[in-house]
Amino acid sequence: MTGPAGVGIGWRPEIAGFVAGLPGLRFVEVVAETVTPAGPLPDGLAELRARGVDVVPHGVRLSLGGAEPVDPARVTHLAAVAAALDAPLVSEHIAFVRAGGLEAGHLLPLPRSREAVAAVVANVRRTQAELPVPLALEPIAALFDWPDDELDEADFLTEILDATGALLLLDVANVHANARNRGDDPTALLDRLPLERIAYAHIAGGAEHGGFYHDTHTDPVPAAVLDLVRELCQRRRPPALLLERDGHYPPAAELRAELDALAAASGHPVVT
Amino acid sequence: MSGDLAARQAELVAALVAGGPLPPGFAPAPVEAARRALLRKRSGDVARHWPLLAAGLGADWPATFTAWADGRPTNGSLRDGWDLARKLSDQGTLPPLGAEELAAREAASHYDGHRPPRPRRMPAVARAGGAVAAQFAGRVRLLRPAPR
Repeated sequence: MTGPAGVGIGWRPEIAGFVAGLPGLRFVEVVAETVTPAGPLPDGLAELRARGVDVVPHGVRLSLGGAEPVDPARVTHLAAVAAALDAPLVSEHIAFVRAGGLEAGHLLPLPRSREAVAAVVANVRRTQAELPVPLALEPIAALFDWPDDELDEADFLTEILDATGALLLLDVANVHANARNRGDDPTALLDRLPLERIAYAHIAGGAEHGGFYHDTHTDPVPAAVLDLVRELCQRRRPPALLLERDGHYPPAAELRAELDALAAASGHPVVT
Repeated sequence: MSGDLAARQAELVAALVAGGPLPPGFAPAPVEAARRALLRKRSGDVARHWPLLAAGLGADWPATFTAWADGRPTNGSLRDGWDLARKLSDQGTLPPLGAEELAAREAASHYDGHRPPRPRRMPAVARAGGAVAAQFAGRVRLLRPAPR
């Protein structure tokens, strides 16, 4: 599989200068909804492409887990962004973001039911039919569960990936958050996930709020998440790792230290 | 429970963003935590689209935004901030920085409160909270700052 490699970072306009200055960088991710494929690429992204840095479009608004068919215009946009960036793959979430005409403004969890598996699989297939490149699916961090789950998380995910042939975008911070909030063992989930399907992994920091761990992307990566990165890399040849940061951007030295910590935990070359 | 995923998803979203009742079977505390987290995230998103409005309110921004947004589904960060700024302006509680940001936005784009804002083609002057902004050939200029 040709896909992202090494340690990367989520490209955001606010840190474009910092990202451009990372000498060893081989891949970044860009929020697909922020790219206008017909127009010029955002400043900085075009330069990274010219340097040979892979850019992976990451969708956040497709609502693959919605009971209704995915909006064809959103699929067309994602496909056009992938083509414009000459991307190796694209990624989206196993979640829904709108229902009944209302936008949630965030990724919401699905019931782990056969009906939900069928809805996701149908939407993933509709999306794959339009995409010029493979699709990786990311399980989300959820603060609550549905009352009538029929499957556990590993089985739910494996059924969707098996039925669609999609790749796995594993968010290590989400694994940590879900285990924390449900009182589960995060490594037990790692042992049951189809790790051979991982395209790359997300790493981010979060914070405690009212007794829950929130995957905020605005805080430093905690030691427990780095430990889980090491656990993941022991189980599988280290996958490409992507640091996600949204808002409250820290000084460059702190971002560099976080990227270096990911390289150290995985054995990937440093990119700073 | 089958065949009704669409209806159940709609109920859940309504409970999270539109003041709807908690659907049966869900644990109240975790859903409430998610509802609060959504409001916090929205407040940050709108602050990024309306930086002067948020800065003008300072430490009061999260509470001001959350009180307004609670039970009100989003129309996107641009329109959410616009609607809130207009409401504060009507109440006479828009801070000077927010007034200047609102006047500049009103001069640059036409927004009817229902459909997405559209850039104005014709020259325009707009006022908000004592601030006056003008737009000519797509360039916006603050003619008079809001009184401090």
